[in-house]
Formats: sequence, structure tokens, C-alpha cells
Amino acid sequence: MPDWEAIVGERLADSSLAPEERREVVTELAGHLEEAFEQLRVEGLSEETAMELAFSQVKNWQSLRRKIQKARMEEDVMTDRVKQVWLPGFVTLFLSMMLLMAIQFFGPHPLIVSMSGWRTTAPVAVIYVPWLLSLLPIGAIGAYLAGRAGGSLRATLLSIAFPVLPYSVFSAIWIPVSLILGDHISHNTMPSALLLGPLAWVVLPGVALLAGGLPVQLLRSRRPASV
Amino acid sequence: MIGPGIKRGTAELAVLSVLGDGPLHGYEMARRIEEQTHGSLRFTLASLYPLLYKLEKRGWLRGAWETSDTGRRRRCYRLTSEGKKKLVPIRREWDELFRALHRLTKERHA
Repeated sequence: MPDWEAIVGERLADSSLAPEERREVVTELAGHLEEAFEQLRVEGLSEETAMELAFSQVKNWQSLRRKIQKARMEEDVMTDRVKQVWLPGFVTLFLSMMLLMAIQFFGPHPLIVSMSGWRTTAPVAVIYVPWLLSLLPIGAIGAYLAGRAGGSLRATLLSIAFPVLPYSVFSAIWIPVSLILGDHISHNTMPSALLLGPLAWVVLPGVALLAGGLPVQLLRSRRPASV
Repeated sequence: MIGPGIKRGTAELAVLSVLGDGPLHGYEMARRIEEQTHGSLRFTLASLYPLLYKLEKRGWLRGAWETSDTGRRRRCYRLTSEGKKKLVPIRREWDELFRALHRLTKERHA
């Protein structure tokens, strides 16, 4: 009976896996070859032929070693969640922030909503229309990146809406705090600003991002499977 | 016999499907796939284990060492809940592809 662990261990000796992990892989592969060998012996083959046939399952040990290392180590660098949610999310967030800064510096004046209508005193919300329009392609990019990485519908929606999440969190904390503490910390914050702020920084950008991203998601889901 | 180009894409589906019936160790998995596909799909050690490790890394499978009645230690794989969820759309996509190819070849012969 061949010592399969010794045979496999020798061929995987140069592997860069951690010693404990390499031992596990060697034990597992040796077990597989041993079972294949035993089955061939049961079928009536000689020990030599059975060993040769079992061993022929691996044509190139160096290539197998590389594939195993890649499968067990490299995928750690970027998990599915990173590729499907975090990477597209941060790309859309970064692009939206950069464009907002550029538009604030170089773009036209924003729409300023005041208590008594659209005028430039006592502003309660500031709306950058060019920025909102630029969120359409940014939403599309988020949907494309998440979809390309095989993201589910939920992951894709999260990637599309990612740039509004910081504003949503801020609004969710700031509005109740302002309303509860009143004049102590927000004596100059009007209730209308508390309501219109989220509209300008969460609802409208969210709608723009989804308007850009959802058609891409729809196109991807309807696209026939590629071979 | 199915050619290697088509086989490449079916490997994940084959492994996930056969594990859908219950936990298995690598050798048994390869044997079941070969048996159930009447020899059309054949996994060798070199093609099976890199795939199992990759699917395990993705969190679709979970492997655990078990000792058989004969005292042999084997690593048994089972589908995780994420793997079960992934199997549904993958099956649907392949069903769609096979139906489309079937329609195409039927129209050619008509």
C-alpha cells in the first residue's frame, strides 16, 4: 500500500500555505487518492496499475499547487462583499463628493430655498441642480460595478444609493437631537430646515442615483446569459 | 461527451447541486457527479479541490473533518445558507441557457 500522504506531501512541499493548512490539504488529497486506489484494486487492477491510474488524476503538480494556493489565499484579498458592495459603493461616494466640490467651486449658483420661497435670505435648503444631474451616471456606474461583480439586487441597490447613506445617517441623528434639545444646541436651526435638509441631501440625490442606476440593473437582469 | 469549454462553466453548478442532496467528502462528490451524469462530467483530484477551496472561501460551502466508521479522517463539505441561496439563480441561468440552446437546435432541425 503506497504512503499517499508522503507522496502528496513531497509534491506540495514548496507550497506557500501555512504549515497547518498545508498538512490539512495533504491529508485531504492523500485520502482522495487512497480511496481512488482502493476502488481500482476492488475492480481487480494490479497494485501498480491502480497506483498509476490514481496518480494520473494530477497531470501537473506544480499547476495544482498554484491553483490551491490561489483558491485558499488570493480570494481573501477581495471578498464577494467587497467587490459587490464596498468597492462600487465607495467609488460612487468618491465620485459624488468630488463632483459636489467641483460644482461648489466652479459651477453655477445653487438653488436656495428660504422660508418665504426661492430667495437668498434665511436659507433652509441648498440644492445643487448640476450635482443632482451628475448623480444619474454615478448611479449607473454603481449598478454596473455591483452587477459585474455578480451582486444581488440588494447589493446593487446599496451600491447605487451609497453616496446618500452618510447624509441619511446624519439626518437620522441630527433631526431628533435638534428637536429634543431645541435652543440648547440649535437655536438658529428652523424646523423647516430640518425637514427640507434631508429632502435636498437625501431624497433628491437618492432619486437621481436610482434613476441612473435602475435602468442599468434592469438591462443587466434582462440580458441573456452569456456562454 | 461534453467538451471542456462547456464543462468549465458547469463545474460550480455540479458541485453545488450534488451537495444540495446532503454533505459529501471530495472523493464521494466526484463519484456521484460522474455517476449521475453518466460519465459526461468527470472531476479529477486536480479539478475538484481548487474549486472546493474557492467555493469554501466564498462562503458557499463549509468543510469539516469527520472520522468514518473505518477510522479514516475525511473532510466533509456541506452547503452553507449562502451557498443554498446562490444555487437557485445559478440553476435558473443554466436552465435558461439549456432551453435556449434546445430551441435553437430544434429550429435548425425543423
